[in-house]
Amino acid sequence: TEAAAPDYEAAELYTRAFRVGALGLGWRRLLGPPDLSLAAEEAAEEADAAVAGALGCALGTAAELRAVCSIDTLMSSEKEEDPNVIPEDSSLLTLRIRKKALERREEKIIVDRACRQETLTYEMESHATGKRPDNPTDLIEEGELLLTLNIFYPVIFQKHKDHKPYQTVLVLGSQKLTELRDSISCVSDLQIGGEFSSQPDQAPEHISKDLYKSAFFYFEGIFYNDKRYPECRDLSRTIIEWSESHDRGYENFRSVKMEDYVFNDLFLKIGFPYLYCHQGNCEHIIIITDIRLIHHDDCLDRNLYPLLVKKHWLCTRKCFVCKMYTARWVTNRDSLAPEDPCFFCDVCFRMLHYDAEGNKLGEFLAYPYVDPGIFN
Amino acid sequence: MSAVPGLKEDCEELLGAFQQADTVRFERFAELWRERRFHSIFYGRVRALERNKLTKKTLDLAQQYFLPPYSFQIRVGALYLLYGLYNAQLCQPKQKIRIALKDWPEIQKFQQDLLDSQHYDATYIFRRLRLARAFHFTAMPKLLTYRRSKKKIAENPLKEEFKDPTNRVNNLITNDVLEELMNVHYHYQKMKCVISADKSQPDKALSLIKDDFVVNLKDITLEHQEWLQNRMRLFRNAKEIDKAENQKKEEALLASEGSERANALARIKYRSYSAAVEVSKSRRHRQVQLESSESGPSCGKSPSRSKKPIRRPQPARRRGSSEIGGEMQVAKETVTHHIGMPVITEEDTDEGEVSLPKRRRRR
Repeated sequence: TEAAAPDYEAAELYTRAFRVGALGLGWRRLLGPPDLSLAAEEAAEEADAAVAGALGCALGTAAELRAVCSIDTLMSSEKEEDPNVIPEDSSLLTLRIRKKALERREEKIIVDRACRQETLTYEMESHATGKRPDNPTDLIEEGELLLTLNIFYPVIFQKHKDHKPYQTVLVLGSQKLTELRDSISCVSDLQIGGEFSSQPDQAPEHISKDLYKSAFFYFEGIFYNDKRYPECRDLSRTIIEWSESHDRGYENFRSVKMEDYVFNDLFLKIGFPYLYCHQGNCEHIIIITDIRLIHHDDCLDRNLYPLLVKKHWLCTRKCFVCKMYTARWVTNRDSLAPEDPCFFCDVCFRMLHYDAEGNKLGEFLAYPYVDPGIFN
Repeated sequence: MSAVPGLKEDCEELLGAFQQADTVRFERFAELWRERRFHSIFYGRVRALERNKLTKKTLDLAQQYFLPPYSFQIRVGALYLLYGLYNAQLCQPKQKIRIALKDWPEIQKFQQDLLDSQHYDATYIFRRLRLARAFHFTAMPKLLTYRRSKKKIAENPLKEEFKDPTNRVNNLITNDVLEELMNVHYHYQKMKCVISADKSQPDKALSLIKDDFVVNLKDITLEHQEWLQNRMRLFRNAKEIDKAENQKKEEALLASEGSERANALARIKYRSYSAAVEVSKSRRHRQVQLESSESGPSCGKSPSRSKKPIRRPQPARRRGSSEIGGEMQVAKETVTHHIGMPVITEEDTDEGEVSLPKRRRRR
């Protein structure tokens, strides 16, 4: 029913299906204004009278509570403590283990600081924290839902067999599905079709993103197809026809317009893999890992959502010649190249394959190459 | 997510000490916390990214003790622990404590219990946390990433000592249900009288049930309750329990039990609890073995047994309440119409909830 709180369908793995918006309703009904408030300032400490009233105790008791339950009783330490230093004689197992681990690191690692990947990861995770918009109309409302989505890369490398790389995106309950679709950066969107060995300077007219605009999301038996442009086709039709042609054991699928729905409208399970498909056959698995109420420490600027908070770092393929720049061309059947296919950056590609007048040298096929790591 | 090494041990040590102290006063907790200098649990040269992850895991662990099936005292300790950890953390802005919607009613009830019992310090502290907006109000307690955790087996079973002696069976029927049964029975008797020749008592022909069955029921469940509590105490004091000895005791008690109905009940329970489900023919080689272990409900059954979830037999410990009897001192009651409400005192654990042993299939 609408009112029931989400719970596991498969223990510890994913929940049963529920309407996203119902979660927001469920929580807002149970909480009060102070819980939902997005005010930047911390609430002032309660006066004793307020405490006494709420708890039904005497004023003196309230004052006593304030003293006895003060956080100072837990934080006290005689001297100024450096949180970087683990006390010598700690009784805590956690600290003893951590100390040993740190000592081992000190022995082995010459320089112990954040590598650029770590810095990037941390920055992505925290850069938008607490951000507020200049324009107050862009401020997110209290009680808004925040969804965390893992969108997996379609790239399949052997090394990714067990842990498929993904990006993590935060999206608001009130946002349209199309907003998410537009924010997903996939290398297949940038592909440029065509062989250009004879006319390398000709800037390609269109990238795939412009040519093939169709896409869909699949959540719980419903295909949400992007129909904003006349070129958009219903990519899910093939699947629906296949399912209906025989009794395949699936319930009736439906096909609707992506742009008509916001995330609050969706029926879905948390922790369950769904699908995003674009470019006809480029498929991304999507998993909603979390849904919760928005908090005053979150990014509160609407315009920044969908917000990318985590991205898998992919090593870019470098030019075969200079080994420095990211490859922008790939050649096949190249009489001038040592391997097939062979990757080149723009400068090396031209230097090797064309003379000073721009004439083609040797036999080869050349295609523009977009590296998956281009979004690093 | 992998666990923070040593953290579970430290938290359980602190909560265990709090449990030993046999109090729910924050002052006492604070003493124990200070003794251990628990505030330094986040210390160590940890960089920001790692610190965020570490803190989230820490709060997540502590939060688990805040909810059922842990006992009242442990839950209060967990509340204090969360208060301490939330404020002692070094992250800026602070990592929050996650609460799932399905758990909120239980927490509300807990709050009300605290207030009704005038545990002002605990109520105050929860209030403080709430005002500080220390919570994330979520759909589910943890992030669900569809990662089949290889460490599922290693998931340490919940610390037995921290759990309430009440179990599923006790949760089934409360005082209210027994009272209801009483009422229905009374009306049934009245109805029989009305249609009988002699208005003051029902016809012999209408005598189809035992008149005192509700009283018997209550007695049986009270015995069960006491037996469980004693067991808890035994378990706490002496971790080593002689299995064979207990088994023999139980069998002897079963034999000595007088009441016909109780015997029938015991037989039914024995059958349902000790019968292992026959696995399908294709999995013959993987027949389920009965484990009569004395450990808790989540007995560490090896998952390599079968990939399909098989109905697991209930642990022997839960076997029929009627199997206790002679040895325990049990107060048998006469028929009463009003059954007193339990009083939560600081020393005892919950003692008022009685339950009807019911045959129940587990998925």
